[in-house]
Amino acid sequence: MEMLLMGACLSMFGLAVTCLAFGTATREEKPVTASGTEERAGVAKAVAPARFFVDPPVIPIAAHARIPIEALLLQIENHVRLEQAAAESFMRTPNPALLHSRTSSALVN
Amino acid sequence: MTQADLLNGLSEEDAGRLLALGKRVVLTSGAELFHLGDHADCIYLIARGRVRLTLPMHVRDREEDVMVEERSPGQTVGWSALIPPYQFTLTATAPLETEVTALSRDALKQHFAAHPETGYTVSLNLASIIGERLQLFQAMWVREVQRMVELRCA
Repeated sequence: MEMLLMGACLSMFGLAVTCLAFGTATREEKPVTASGTEERAGVAKAVAPARFFVDPPVIPIAAHARIPIEALLLQIENHVRLEQAAAESFMRTPNPALLHSRTSSALVN
Repeated sequence: MTQADLLNGLSEEDAGRLLALGKRVVLTSGAELFHLGDHADCIYLIARGRVRLTLPMHVRDREEDVMVEERSPGQTVGWSALIPPYQFTLTATAPLETEVTALSRDALKQHFAAHPETGYTVSLNLASIIGERLQLFQAMWVREVQRMVELRCA
C-alpha cells in the first residue's frame, strides 16, 4: 500500500514538473513596448515562412540603411536589369509561369 | 546603321536617304544626350556605344537618376521628338563614348511628305518600338505588384 502511494506521489510530481517545463517552453515573451526600443530602431520583421520551433529572421531596417548608397544604387540597377530580362522572356514566350518567376535580385531578397 | 530598328523594312536606298538627313553626334563618356522635361526636337539612332535611360528616384533623401532601360547600337531613343507634346520623358546619358545619328522632326516631316511610303514604314516601326516598351514595362509592373501582393498575403 505504501509503495502504491509512493508511486502515485512520484507520478504526480513528475506530471507537475513536465507541465511546468512545457509551460516555460511555450510561453510567449511580452513585447518590450515600455522602452519603445523596437519602434525607435525601426526594426521590422522580415516576412518569411513560419518554421517549426524557429522564429522568423529579424532583419533590422537599420542594417539596410548601412549599405553604402552606391551599393544600393547598383542593387537597384541590377534589379532593373533582371526584371527587364524576365519581362523580355515573358514577351518571347507569354505564360504565367514566366511572368511570376522568382527573382534572384538582392534588392528584394 | 541601315539595320536600325527604326529603318526596318526600308530598302537600302530609302534608308540611306533617310540617314543622310541626320547629323552625327559623338558623346563622351558620361555626357547627357537629353534631359527629362526638355523640349524634344530630334530622335536618335544609336550607331556605337550605349545609352542609359534614367528616371529620378528618391534614395535616402537624395534624388538619384536610376536606370530604367539601356539601349544599344541599332536601337532608337528619343521618340518623344515625333509624338506630341514633344517633351522628353526620360534622361538619356552615354555611359561610354557613344555615337548617335540625330534626326530632326522637321527634316523627317518634310522627307515623309515627299516619300509617304517611307513615312508609313517608319511610323509602323516607331509604333512597334513604343509598343514593345509598353509591353515590357507592363510585364515588369505586374511582377512588382505580384511581389507586393505576396508580401501582403504572407
